Amino acid sequence: MRSEIVVVGAGPAGLQAALSAAEAGAEVTLVDNYRQAGGQYYRQPAPEFGDIEPLDHQAEGRRLWQQAAQAGLKLLTETTVWGAFEGHQLALDGPNGPDTLQAQALILATGTYERVAAFPGWTLPGVMTTGAAQTLLKEQRIVPGERVVVAGTGPLQLVTAAALVRAGVRVVAVIEGSPVMRRMWRRPFRHMAALWNQGERLAEGLSSWLTLKRAAVPIHIGWGVTTAHGPEQLTAVTIAQLNDRWRPLPYTSRTLSCDTLCYGYGFTPATELARLLGAELHWRPEQGGFVPIRDERMQSSVPGLFIVGDGAGVGGAGLARLEGRVAGLSAAAQVMGKAVDAALPSLAAEQRFQRFYGDLFTPGPGLDELARPDTIICRCEEVTLADIRAVIEQGADTLMAVKQLTRCGMGNCQGRICGPLAAAQLARQTDQAPAQIGQFSVRPPIFPLPMPTAEAVDLADLPTIPDEHR
Amino acid sequence: MNQWRKIEAPAVIIGGGIVGGAVAYYLARRGIRSVLLEKRIIGAEASGRNGGGVRAQCRNKLERGLAMASIKLWEGLEAELGFDIEYTQGGNIRMATTEERMAQLRTEAEAELADGLQVEVWDREELRRRAPYLSEMFIGAKYCPTDGVANPLLVPWAFVQAARRLGVTVMTHTEAVAIELHQGQIQAVLARQGRQELRIETPLLINAGGPWASQLSQAIGVSLPVEPARTFIGVTQPVRPFFTEFVSSHDLRLYCRPAQKGHVHIGAVGFRPQTFDQTVPADAISHLFRGAVMIPSLHPIHLLRSWAGTLAMTPDGLPVIGPVDGVEGYLLATGFSGHGFCLGPIVGQLLTEWIVEGEPSIPLDELSLARFG
Repeated sequence: MRSEIVVVGAGPAGLQAALSAAEAGAEVTLVDNYRQAGGQYYRQPAPEFGDIEPLDHQAEGRRLWQQAAQAGLKLLTETTVWGAFEGHQLALDGPNGPDTLQAQALILATGTYERVAAFPGWTLPGVMTTGAAQTLLKEQRIVPGERVVVAGTGPLQLVTAAALVRAGVRVVAVIEGSPVMRRMWRRPFRHMAALWNQGERLAEGLSSWLTLKRAAVPIHIGWGVTTAHGPEQLTAVTIAQLNDRWRPLPYTSRTLSCDTLCYGYGFTPATELARLLGAELHWRPEQGGFVPIRDERMQSSVPGLFIVGDGAGVGGAGLARLEGRVAGLSAAAQVMGKAVDAALPSLAAEQRFQRFYGDLFTPGPGLDELARPDTIICRCEEVTLADIRAVIEQGADTLMAVKQLTRCGMGNCQGRICGPLAAAQLARQTDQAPAQIGQFSVRPPIFPLPMPTAEAVDLADLPTIPDEHR
Repeated sequence: MNQWRKIEAPAVIIGGGIVGGAVAYYLARRGIRSVLLEKRIIGAEASGRNGGGVRAQCRNKLERGLAMASIKLWEGLEAELGFDIEYTQGGNIRMATTEERMAQLRTEAEAELADGLQVEVWDREELRRRAPYLSEMFIGAKYCPTDGVANPLLVPWAFVQAARRLGVTVMTHTEAVAIELHQGQIQAVLARQGRQELRIETPLLINAGGPWASQLSQAIGVSLPVEPARTFIGVTQPVRPFFTEFVSSHDLRLYCRPAQKGHVHIGAVGFRPQTFDQTVPADAISHLFRGAVMIPSLHPIHLLRSWAGTLAMTPDGLPVIGPVDGVEGYLLATGFSGHGFCLGPIVGQLLTEWIVEGEPSIPLDELSLARFG
């Protein structure tokens, strides 16, 4: 298949990019992993529910998708992009099997993964990420448990806790790791300016807050979960007050009885496709880690490769849509060989909010110190902190060496979950900067790819190998 | 020259792969504590990226002898190095899809049996009976029960750790940048470690740097006929182990082998010549899909990862091992053309004999650089 513009990921950034590019007259194909467009933020209820009352942002997402559909773009759902190759060629695996898609310009809007923390007990059944709880709630209308603690950092914790309360769940407590008020006071004017014109966000925050207050849910700010307890299933969590470096303060710990813990410590941008195509990244911890270097048109270091949304640096749905619009219009102009004829929106206000968000909700080093020697770091391959420490002590000083010797990152998640955890441990123990440590290398397939049937394999075109090669 | 940090060593080894690690280890056992220089990390290149096959069958006659001697070492390696390198002798099956290929395998079997390598030729029925998981496209095979696999990620590390315990100085992230000669004799190796520069005075240099150390050698007038080439491997998700053999077919240009935790490695037989590029292109993945042709039950198991590695190819596909005419104190162990993993231990031992006793216990003259004229 070919398309002038291919957009990967149908969340806020991708939907908006596809819509803007299509409206500008380009031929656009939008590819997404899931059954319905929307991504995580606009995640739609399962179609089996029929005409069900939308939650949160679902209505906005549906409107955006309907607009995009009317603008005449092609949507490939349930289609995994498992590889990207030189010249903007994508490898797909969809309902009709493998295929390739050749783009003139490519817009990546691949979103993020949630950043977890490895504290004792984090792999117990009953412990899940906040995003997993959101998925259950938004798409399946399932609540994750009966007595739920919501912990971590960022507005998503508050919003999720409120949504759980509205769904009838007993939320035991909301635990926010960041000492939000203290951080606000560090740069009061800058932060007040960032909130200017953010009425919608503030309203959402306030409404969540009120929902929780009315339900008498305690909100602990500047606290964190240090241990999850349970023989085989979560029964309680221990929380403690944190200092400015996110280290637990002595004598502050308490135990809360619960059957579910939903937690998340921010997001890591999904940059696999960008990296396969050779885009340069730089280290921006306040935006989630390694993010692509872009110009003001959202173009990466690779010509014709645009990268937008949280996957290019966490900044929220508002910034994601604006970036999507800029990239959509710019990519359309590029493939049609003309100047951008619509005014590009200003990102300044949303970028101020992005900096505010980064200032407030970037975890401190204490988070990486919670693991004990027997705490699992790589859950796919069951690699513990002690395993990792042992090889570092023997001289492993790169992520590649740690991976080779412990199998950390070799499992089904392909290092997405454990990568940042292992990198943080390596940084701590070898005194290296995270930017120097880097990430696990990326190669296709970036998602596990089913082997085809024997009949589906083309045996023609054998490479030329001298037969005496043994 | 004053800013160079100075070290002295009885021997310097370039390359922290299996060959460099094995030379360092066996030399140290004979009391020679070398300095090992590795530009990246231990086992970063071909030694850590290959299919892990440890086989004596289906080889050139000279390499067959070396491989058989190496396998004797492999059998004792875990105990000797004190490291679980996941070595198993699960057997090796080379399959045929044509009568012509079958005839080749039969001829080869005669030569192998004559050299004392126990192999069996299987017809279609025997293959079905012994390896029912293989495709029915194969009309027969040759089988060697003593061949096997080990984990390439662990073996170079195991050698280097053992060498370290015996007093070898291992310098990773350290690139050899120049060789100094004095009147045709090795005098020193210059190396760079980050911003630090080193001058290691040594009478003896062993170049096990694969295709990366060619330029270095060129600079002292020793041109190595070693070219880089790229090949590919993929690995599936773990499944309940259903075979133990390393299986390969040159008709399919492919091999498959089980790994200890139930993953199946699928590797390309063959290479793209003259490149240091290690990206995995789209058609490499299509090539690895042939795993499902060779072993139909691999469908619909998921392919989890892939990688590429750089082979050190010589014009005749055989390694370059031994001293260099006209340069005193310079030994080569390079150009393994994809066979270095199995041969690594024996080459380490033979080079040690060469250095300590003046002669290896298996003659290696045919593998000298001089054969290229």
